[in-house]
Amino acid sequence: MLVSGRIFALGMLIALWIFIVGAMEMAKKKLPTFRKLSGLDALPEMVGRAAEMNRPIHYTTGLGELTGTVAPQLVAGLAVLGYVSELAAKYGVKVIYSVYQAQVMPIATELMKEAYMRAGKADAFNAEEQIRYLSGEQFAYATAVQGIAERERPAANIMIGPFYAESMMFSETFFRIGAIQLAGTARGYQIPFFAVVCDYLLIGEEIYAAGAYLSKDPVQCGSIQGQDIGKVIGWILMFVGVLATAAGSPIIINLLKT
Amino acid sequence: MFVAAVLVMVDYFLKIPGTGPAVVQLQNWGIILTAFTLGFGAVNLFYLHTRHISRRTPGQWPFSIWILVMIVVTAVIGVATGATGKQYSWWYNSTYFALSATVYSSLGFYMTTGCYRALRARNVEAALLLVVGAIALLRNAPAIAVGVPIIIPMEAWLSAVPTTSAQRGIMIGAALGAIALGVRTMIGRETGFLGRLTEAERRGGT
Amino acid sequence: MSKGKGFWARLEDVPREVLYAILLIVFIIPMLNPMGFPVPISDAAKKWYATIDALPAGSAIMIDFGYSGGGEPELGPMAAAVYHHIFRKGGLKPITMSTSIDGTLLWDKVIAEVNPEKYGRKYGVDYIHIGYIAGTETAMAAVGKDLRATTNTDYHGASLDQFPIMQGIKDASSFKLLICYTTGGDQSEGWVRQWNTPYKTPYLCSVIAMMVPTMLPYQKAGQIVSLLAGAQAGEMELLVGMPARGIKSADVITLTHLLVFAFVVLGNIAHYGRKASERARGG
Repeated sequence: MLVSGRIFALGMLIALWIFIVGAMEMAKKKLPTFRKLSGLDALPEMVGRAAEMNRPIHYTTGLGELTGTVAPQLVAGLAVLGYVSELAAKYGVKVIYSVYQAQVMPIATELMKEAYMRAGKADAFNAEEQIRYLSGEQFAYATAVQGIAERERPAANIMIGPFYAESMMFSETFFRIGAIQLAGTARGYQIPFFAVVCDYLLIGEEIYAAGAYLSKDPVQCGSIQGQDIGKVIGWILMFVGVLATAAGSPIIINLLKT
Repeated sequence: MFVAAVLVMVDYFLKIPGTGPAVVQLQNWGIILTAFTLGFGAVNLFYLHTRHISRRTPGQWPFSIWILVMIVVTAVIGVATGATGKQYSWWYNSTYFALSATVYSSLGFYMTTGCYRALRARNVEAALLLVVGAIALLRNAPAIAVGVPIIIPMEAWLSAVPTTSAQRGIMIGAALGAIALGVRTMIGRETGFLGRLTEAERRGGT
Repeated sequence: MSKGKGFWARLEDVPREVLYAILLIVFIIPMLNPMGFPVPISDAAKKWYATIDALPAGSAIMIDFGYSGGGEPELGPMAAAVYHHIFRKGGLKPITMSTSIDGTLLWDKVIAEVNPEKYGRKYGVDYIHIGYIAGTETAMAAVGKDLRATTNTDYHGASLDQFPIMQGIKDASSFKLLICYTTGGDQSEGWVRQWNTPYKTPYLCSVIAMMVPTMLPYQKAGQIVSLLAGAQAGEMELLVGMPARGIKSADVITLTHLLVFAFVVLGNIAHYGRKASERARGG
């Protein structure tokens, strides 16, 4: 009944589910603690800088569809958008959110509206002005964002989500106008470009932790803890596998292939 | 959502007759939905830009007219001659392809200024990044690789050992994140899609 | 450049237009006047070539034109060189699909460049394009599971049943090789997950140069047989004996890489020169 070659993968998947759901339940009783993520700790500083300079903050969640494989990254970016919007609303800073996927717009509108309401500044929110659907085409979107950078000169640029070739265009343009930048993506192709130019960087699954780190929501925190348990299992398998293979035993390799 | 996800997973891991055709149908529905989002994007563009035109948004409305004209012309040519017609191909090559390749190529210029201004050996980590980047740059210049052959095994080691290891770590982390999001979505505890930050907010609290 | 700034500060602050102009000059000169720099053929290119060469007659190859217009200058020459190889060898069945919306038009460009009729190859008999299929990984999974249920027409809209090349082609198991050209990681990684892992289809992948480090883990794990950057099209053209756009680009790549290396060194010299002169003035 089980497809040969996928038995171990099925077992690992079930184990991960158990760990993630279990960790989510345990987090309701006691929140797990996170290590310091300096990029996220710098968000109040970035918003404060924008308030002092009386310039807006630009936010983008990059390219990505809610139905695609990069959806987790897009959702992570939206989670941070809510936090940044609330913080910016408290300081009276305008947040400009550039949208690539039209289907994200109603979600972003709801998210930012609620953030402004939590900050007690519901009247300050202007969806038409702040949430801008630019284009569903990669480079049309990229050049439109560059146009926003050149015209409106945001003091801070926050990029969290799935980014493709336009990442270098964004980071270089905002670097040139003197904006402080926080970038985060789990798409390994673009991390080097952000690393070279941006002030703060979230690498890989740090963006998934971002929503939990900022909101302290037990579901999200527990989910991150469950992922970390998965990583520990992966580490153990790698370590034992290296030792076993070095000793001439294919036991771990055969286990992974079952 | 839960049922659809479990069905696809069951078909992948277990040999149960009947799940195959059901999964094929689900996948075809997914393809159709994705195709619809393309049209949705075009509708959204129309809505957005007609609003700019009607409100005469300063600095924007002439470009909005232009984009709508281009959308209509492209659509008319495509429908009239077919997506594989000669005229449509000519139109595509002359406009979209030329612009797309140009903007993509501009990345080279951005990278150049990025390398000149930002790639500084400010500390140990930055210096390491600089050295590794320089080796990769020289290796990927074909003639240099011939003239300075030592660069080939150096770059090969850097690619095979530290780079691949780091990328594997990032991939594993990203994959676990995707699994976690999948689990939360399947059991209905993912709030990001609803535009709320926390489960408490989803239940109507603050 | 600002008045009152020292030499090092001015060097560190060179206007970007100057950098762009130098890059443009270095770019244009070898394009207009090819210099014939040597191009070494890498092991990956040889492996790619050998993999196709080793295919028995009648083997079906799934080719994904998964790149967008922006990637055409880099991946187009690679795709053309590989088609030359396939058509010259003969007896193979390259069946193309696109997971990128631009893919069908870009395929037209490449086929026009390759001119299969020169090799006596006929559309529908020796090669075919089954069209753009939306959904990226969903499309890959669907085609791998049941191609005819996913699409039953070619990209012109004609029924696949009328084409001899499609006889016996049902799903991923009908294919002996998978080739993907893409500018998007979703495609290059998606094929690993949806075809190589479940069906063990050998996979050749060509991506833009900046994606190579991220795809390396798959190649080191054996999930990708050969991984080539589109910038290595010149190597493929040399192997196939059809020098074209790829080889022309090799000179440009060499000179521009050297220029960027020089800029990096110069930028750091300027940075530390400025710091030293500020310390000297201050101390």
